[in-house]
Amino acid sequence: MPYHEFECSQCIPERIKHAVDKTKNDLTEALPLGYLNTIPGTLSERGCAYCGAKHVIGTPMKDVIHLSHGPIGCTYDTWQTKRYISDNDNFQIKYTFASDMKEKNIVFGAEKVLKNNILEAFKAFPKIKRMTIYQTCASALIGDDIGAIANEIMEEMPDVDIFVCNSPGFAGPSQSGGHHKINLAWVNDKVGQVEPKITSDYVINYVGEYNIQGDQQVMQDYFKRMGIQILSTFTGNGSYDDLRAMHRAHLNVLECARSAEYICDELRKRYGIPRMDIDGFGFKPLSSSLRKIGLFFGIEDRANAIIEEETKRWKPELDWYAARLKGKKICLWPGGSKLWHWAHVIHEEMGLEVVSVYTKFGHQGDMEKGISRCEAGALAIDDPNELESLEAMYKLKPDLIVTGKRPGEVAKKIRVPYINAHAYHNGPYKGFEGWVRFARDIYNAVYSPIHKLSLVDISKDKIVTDKSFVTRQMLSDSQLDESILNSKELHEYTGEFDSLKRLRGRKYPQYPMKGKLAAI
Amino acid sequence: MEMTIESGKDTLMSYIMKNCLWQFNSRGWDRQTQNENIIGKATQILCKETTVRKTLADRCYWAEAQQLVNDWECFPWLKKMNTSDIKTMMCKLKETLDYQLITNSLNEELKNPNY
Repeated sequence: MPYHEFECSQCIPERIKHAVDKTKNDLTEALPLGYLNTIPGTLSERGCAYCGAKHVIGTPMKDVIHLSHGPIGCTYDTWQTKRYISDNDNFQIKYTFASDMKEKNIVFGAEKVLKNNILEAFKAFPKIKRMTIYQTCASALIGDDIGAIANEIMEEMPDVDIFVCNSPGFAGPSQSGGHHKINLAWVNDKVGQVEPKITSDYVINYVGEYNIQGDQQVMQDYFKRMGIQILSTFTGNGSYDDLRAMHRAHLNVLECARSAEYICDELRKRYGIPRMDIDGFGFKPLSSSLRKIGLFFGIEDRANAIIEEETKRWKPELDWYAARLKGKKICLWPGGSKLWHWAHVIHEEMGLEVVSVYTKFGHQGDMEKGISRCEAGALAIDDPNELESLEAMYKLKPDLIVTGKRPGEVAKKIRVPYINAHAYHNGPYKGFEGWVRFARDIYNAVYSPIHKLSLVDISKDKIVTDKSFVTRQMLSDSQLDESILNSKELHEYTGEFDSLKRLRGRKYPQYPMKGKLAAI
Repeated sequence: MEMTIESGKDTLMSYIMKNCLWQFNSRGWDRQTQNENIIGKATQILCKETTVRKTLADRCYWAEAQQLVNDWECFPWLKKMNTSDIKTMMCKLKETLDYQLITNSLNEELKNPNY
């Protein structure tokens, strides 16, 4: 497999080893470099290590005051950019806290400011007794001892508990450095402090899941139907105290290995809890994942019953979209893990051709997975700059980009539709129904008539006047076979606008405890 | 088409690389343990031998192996293979996994002593 040289990056020779054209399944010939400091001169799209610790992993915890010790701008990511919802009225994204460090605090120190902020925040929200504090570049550089302040407060207020995360923005090449730091800080400082009430023979931690638009709640529904107790979720919709009890699970079920494998590995080493990596996206990978969790606990029949019911309900709707998306070209350009969660199944189950995979902050291990899963011919890129992304889009001519908000807007400028891979358009995308919602969003993006209209240059192009109106379906169905067009089985998505509604208040089967796994 | 031990091994290797995640743990020693245990248990299941499931770790390796073997139902040739050939093929499969993902891997993080 040859390395890929971008014309725009010929002046940055170090970039050559960050992109590979996949020609065959041999990872020993070429593998993009990853998780390295961004090369001077290349405009990276990455986030910082503080962002990785707080905005990716810390803040999805739902019953916590999340406070940044730094300038107020560091708390930018709230309502409008993050969509890790929770079942407690989204407290953690509705309210955001910062110590609002100013120039004078840099000169004279900001520990007093921080202490006052902590007291003020607990006073403003007296029902919330848990807090996380995040170091930023500013407070790290002046050496404020956040841990000491937190201990002072905990002595003065014995009913509160505070977690301190020292992961300033410069503490790693990208947000991935922050993932690492907060994983280890949590397992070192907090795990083992709470003894949970065990209510099932089958107990898991659900790790590396951030409840984007409700993903966690969808998976939680399947686990509860199987009679599995989710001791904690790290961290989407997760509770602070539940996460202090992670050491009592039988199994760590891991979704995003990029952001949360560290805590799984440490729990395996320290407490003997095995790690099982799963895929929550796509019918076949999800079915396989539920089955192997079922096998682990000896309850595979329960997994099979769910798979059968969900597949029967949702597969005809997935197939309606798949028939219309077949052969469309897509660039999978998410942050870290979704490139490999989606690379094979989006091709197999929706018929899309993955022409490129990229990762902003992934490591070489993520590229190994992504390259293994995508088809030959795809271009794999690590930490691309904006010009490389543009060059790739002009060359590959994709029908759709699945990426983040910032590169997504760049794609729109050259009339390429995009779907938000981080926060989703109309998620959740996990689960059987979620996968259909993803297919619907892709369909709506690819066939949106606006993209044809936007390509017309009224200063020089001929304006068609005899056809005044087209719909998505007029565009998508024009080349379809009669058997598909007239199929009574296939149909568009029929779920509700809020797909979580039917999960709320659902009654789950009660399985009496037999003490099965306790004997192991 | 006649399936040889070599072509069978290649088919199973492609399946694992496309559909599984357990072989990609981030450290070389960890990949070694995963390959050894999961391929070892899958071999025992295919050869209808007893598998040990005494610890949680054993159960996890076994669950991965059993799911793999269940997925391989789509390869009818595997059912026709005798025990000796299965063992030879699975041994080669583990060697190929080790070669691709450990000994000849270009992943520079595999030798990092910490998680």
